[in-house]
Amino acid sequence: MDDFERDLSRLLRDTQQHTPYEPEHRQRLHAGIRSRRRSRLLWKAGGSAVAVAGLSVGLALLPNMLTRAQPADHRPQPATSSTPSQDSEPTSDSPDPSTTPTRPESSAPATTTGGSTPPGGPSTTISPTPTATASESRTTSAPPTPPPSPTPTTAPPSPLEETQEPSASATE
Amino acid sequence: MEQVRADGFDEFVAARWSALLHVARLLTGGDRQRAEDLVQEALVKLWFAWPKVAEQAPEAYVRTVLVRMAARSAKRRWWGERPVEQLPDRADPGDVSSTVAERSRLEAALALLSAKQRAAVVLRYYEDLPEAQVAQALGCPVGTARSHASRGVARLRQILSDAVRPVG
Repeated sequence: MDDFERDLSRLLRDTQQHTPYEPEHRQRLHAGIRSRRRSRLLWKAGGSAVAVAGLSVGLALLPNMLTRAQPADHRPQPATSSTPSQDSEPTSDSPDPSTTPTRPESSAPATTTGGSTPPGGPSTTISPTPTATASESRTTSAPPTPPPSPTPTTAPPSPLEETQEPSASATE
Repeated sequence: MEQVRADGFDEFVAARWSALLHVARLLTGGDRQRAEDLVQEALVKLWFAWPKVAEQAPEAYVRTVLVRMAARSAKRRWWGERPVEQLPDRADPGDVSSTVAERSRLEAALALLSAKQRAAVVLRYYEDLPEAQVAQALGCPVGTARSHASRGVARLRQILSDAVRPVG
């Protein structure tokens, strides 16, 4: 320690000014302690509330996630039967070739027999058929193959629209 | 229990208030208001740690808190000051003396150091702490603390010699 360091040390000590600890200092200090205690309590309360909320949300979501994993296997069935069956019709035809014949058959008796033959189901389809079949035949390639000879299946349910046809045939 | 804690705490604060305030003032480069704020904050922290440190070394705890808070507050651009209608009382009437001039010169020189250098110089030359404790308070290796102290002293030597050097 050289002279300057000794002088520095002396200077640092000699410049100390005695400042008494007055009541106002004490009040201010204790007010600060109370304020800090309040804020700590609030932080603790908030933290525990957030923890409880997170835990409850986690517990609420966990069973749902577990149960959601199970019905995932059953979901495709209704989905394929209703809408995408139209697109997948050619591919799904393979299991039951009866579907393609049935459709022309259902339309064929309707056009040929007119209002004479069947009660119930076909009668509802008959009236729209003259116009509808024409339009359908253009749009869908199904009518161009009208083999009228096998008439037996009048039963094939009365599909009002093309979209419902595959479902009906699939259900059969 | 709480009363015993408060009594011991108040006794400690009353005994060490002046010294703590002086250390804080040196650490802040002579800023009296900031020094009071630092001491207040450090003592509030001490209150909550009092059951643990009361029997050991409460002053070392406060010193460490003061040094770290001073280093942190030196980086701030605003310390929560707000304008007031009346200026607080500054120096006592008896302060107009060579002691005050000397203190002002020293504080001005200290204010030109970095916060770490200032803390190292104050702890080493005012508190007379060994280098290991200086390093512990600064939260850095001993070599780094020694480097801060030596660079701070070198800078003070230059500043104070420039201030004393006669003009012309």
